[in-house]
Amino acid sequence: MGSRYLGRKLAQALGTIFAIVLLNFVLFRMMPGSPERVLLRNPYLSPGKVEQVRKAWGLDAPMLPISVSVDPPAFSINPRNQLTSYIGATFSGDLGYSFKFRGTPVTEVIGQRFWPTILLIGFGEIIAIAVGLAIGSYAGWKRGSLTDRIGSGISLILYSMPYFVIGMPLILIFAARLGWFPTSGMLTVGATYGSFVDQLIDFGRHLALPLATVSLGLIGSYSIIMRSSIIETRAEDYVTTARAKGLTDRQVLSRHAFPNAMLPMVTLIAINLGYVVAGAITAEVVFNWPGLGTLTVGALSARDYPVLQGVFLLLSVTVVLANLVADLVYAFLDPRVRS
Amino acid sequence: MNRSTLRARGARILMSAGLAFAAIGPATAPVAAADPVVLRVGTTQDNDTLNPYSTLLVVGYEAFQLSYNLLVDFGPNLEPVPGFADSWERAADGHSWTFHIRDGMKWSDGQPATSEDACFSWQLAIDSIRENEGSGYLGAGYIDPGLADAGVKAVDCSDPTTMVATTDDASQRILQTYLPIIPKHIWGTETYATIGDATFTAPLVGTGPYQAVEWQTGQFIRFQRNPNYWGTQGFADEVDIVIYKTADSMVQALKAGEVDYIHGANADQLNALKSEANIKTVAGAANGWTQMAFNTYGTGTGNTIPGGGPSTPALLDAAFRDALGYAVDKQTLVDKVLGGYGDLGDTIVPPVQTQWHVTPDKPRTFDIKLAKQKLDAAGYKLDASGNRLDKANNPIALRMYMPDSDDNYPKAAQFIADWYGQLGIKVTTQVLDSGTLGEKVLPPEADPKAGYTADYDIELWGWSWNVDPSGELQIFKCDAIGSSSDSQYCNPAFDKLYDQQLAAPTDAERKAIIAQMQNIIYDEAPYDVLYYDANLDAYRTDRFAGWYNVPSNGTPMFTYGTLGYTQLTDATIVTPPPATEAPAAGATPAPSVGPGDAGSGSGDSTPLVIGGLVVVGVVVGYYLMRRRQGAGGTMKDEGEE
Repeated sequence: MGSRYLGRKLAQALGTIFAIVLLNFVLFRMMPGSPERVLLRNPYLSPGKVEQVRKAWGLDAPMLPISVSVDPPAFSINPRNQLTSYIGATFSGDLGYSFKFRGTPVTEVIGQRFWPTILLIGFGEIIAIAVGLAIGSYAGWKRGSLTDRIGSGISLILYSMPYFVIGMPLILIFAARLGWFPTSGMLTVGATYGSFVDQLIDFGRHLALPLATVSLGLIGSYSIIMRSSIIETRAEDYVTTARAKGLTDRQVLSRHAFPNAMLPMVTLIAINLGYVVAGAITAEVVFNWPGLGTLTVGALSARDYPVLQGVFLLLSVTVVLANLVADLVYAFLDPRVRS
Repeated sequence: MNRSTLRARGARILMSAGLAFAAIGPATAPVAAADPVVLRVGTTQDNDTLNPYSTLLVVGYEAFQLSYNLLVDFGPNLEPVPGFADSWERAADGHSWTFHIRDGMKWSDGQPATSEDACFSWQLAIDSIRENEGSGYLGAGYIDPGLADAGVKAVDCSDPTTMVATTDDASQRILQTYLPIIPKHIWGTETYATIGDATFTAPLVGTGPYQAVEWQTGQFIRFQRNPNYWGTQGFADEVDIVIYKTADSMVQALKAGEVDYIHGANADQLNALKSEANIKTVAGAANGWTQMAFNTYGTGTGNTIPGGGPSTPALLDAAFRDALGYAVDKQTLVDKVLGGYGDLGDTIVPPVQTQWHVTPDKPRTFDIKLAKQKLDAAGYKLDASGNRLDKANNPIALRMYMPDSDDNYPKAAQFIADWYGQLGIKVTTQVLDSGTLGEKVLPPEADPKAGYTADYDIELWGWSWNVDPSGELQIFKCDAIGSSSDSQYCNPAFDKLYDQQLAAPTDAERKAIIAQMQNIIYDEAPYDVLYYDANLDAYRTDRFAGWYNVPSNGTPMFTYGTLGYTQLTDATIVTPPPATEAPAAGATPAPSVGPGDAGSGSGDSTPLVIGGLVVVGVVVGYYLMRRRQGAGGTMKDEGEE
């Protein structure tokens, strides 16, 4: 039964990824505006040059393998078309070449931006999970207390604040005014480091403010959901039993209420971790963080189809995988799900 | 119990993962030399490529200007000054030029730089023009038009110290060709067809003052002093162009002293910076403008586009467009939209091109009443409810589109809609993204199969130009319809003048023709040039002195030539830093971690990633271990259940 469950989930995940690959192709080509026009606002541009560029980028080929036209009635099969060459290349691991960065492989373009985002959002998630769960469970446990009111209030405020609203004041105060941290970037450009530790320190100083922004922005959702989850478990019979046994309040919370309240959180965390790669576009923009979010924005305005497809593929695959992991972990934690 | 075991296992895995990551970390760390003097320059443009033939961006041009020389460079007032060639002379018949290549000049890698390199570079453009029967084909198409316009037919380098170029007209435009000289010993196997796609990996080898040694997309381009540079060596050992996502972040970085120069602030930011200590602002005249382009499709030809084209035939009438010109208060636009930074628009050659710009012979002034009278006189009457009618008695309602690339466009559009409204002409405005708008203004001529319909009335957008004025004249030619024309204007008389100005033997004669052309466009008004934009830059004065505007009403950087970089001096000259050892620092090769040899493509963030993962691994592992011990220690409690 276990292997059947696993098999079903894996098949679902693979099916979803294939659908995404197809959707990726259609989605960006449905946008008005074509890449060669975006790139070439040139007073000397000739139709011949446009044709040349379209050919070089494979945009002259028909989009689909089959074309049907009503007026005049026509039907043709296109052996050379954008769709099949895209699917073939994608599944062989070739994401193509960036239009915007003039032929740089997409894997290289994404590779440069991948780790900065993972580090920033990954650390941000870890901090937010730890702090959010702590605030949420304590507030829920002490429902109605002053701590609850302050904790929930702060959580709600943070939850509703976009990253740039959190980030800009941090820059103004801690970077521009006090000068404790650099305003932006990931490393001091052009710096020569005496040792690896120096470089790590420089990185840490650059990371501090964006990390604070991202974690502050994420804490809200964790603490709010954790709080309600704890409140639910508080009313459960086993909690009453535990109290009746004479366990201390702290023991009841940490051993009985908290682990059970974590069940819904596992799903939330797993799904959120899927979005780590998607990053936080506004936070990256404010702090000039060279991540995937800003790459996506740039690629979008340049109609850089290959990069967009690559980024979206990466994002969707991580989200699908994170969901798969959530399903599996959940099944492991809660045997009822397996049957 | 189950879970504790799981945690313990997890902890071990994480710990060993941390160790494994540590093991693959870099064995040696870079060792610091004497601190080089670094000039940091901020911009909001994300560079696209280091290939000079393929870049479309100002920042890309800045990168190749620093790395390479032009055959003839730009001086303080954009006049021709020695570059790769240190002198030149024209033959008596005006059809042949001899350029003397600098004696003993070396590429940054130490190889001799000779006329062969110059010929190779120019030949690429000449081949491209010949093979494609026209220009605009080399790379992104911005490089070869310079040679095509100058009428260069052939180059000869039989003598290593001279390059002889023959032209089919006797003009002087050959001295203003924006064409980098690249080293033949590196690019010699490339042809005109392949050079645009060639990967120009840093470090570049050039003869310019600073060589690009590292480029990280979305982050920075680093340049190091070229020890073999023939001109004045700049004070900075290194120039870093830092790329920002927003001007706000960039301004904060300037205030905090993280960058020395910023390019592309807005008026509010510039005003706020004026009161900062050690910061100076500059509003330099930009070589470009913001315009309203009227859709005049069908003028002269009578062609129409089914389901597209201008919404009223009035747009094809020069008298109608002329009348509209009196209803635009350009002073208000400059004051309210640009915050006072910019110049009132008139003709299609920006005033920064002092050599070519003329003011119109019959200038218009802002006068709504006069605009109304002119419309009435031209046969455009008002109906009973105050709507202006075209000659077929249909109310005139104009659709104005603009790209989302500039916040000032929608502001200007609001003013214009209000002024036109006073004439009885309703204007609807819409912001589109640049790609969409670029296609929207295309007529069927661009590609008969693609279904383009030029379905707009007014396009509000801008252009920026080269030193030579051919570009801004070109877009009004009949054969630009379907490519660069966004007014669909066609006037055979104008086209004839275009060819004449190209062939004019002297600059004075050329200017007379170009003056005529500027007046034709101003009078017939397919364009209403609203204003000449300004480049709003700012720089710190506490580290570097000697900031130098090129031209004198321009900005120090992101302009033509590299004087703004090489003229900088030490602002703290009283206690000079150990800059005397600079050449040695410049001579050291680029640091080992460049995009060229990083392999993995993750650039210099790799060690950090590894370091970060190690830290996470160890911390999480430690935490889980502790939890396990903790769980074991309280086993008694569990037993109570």
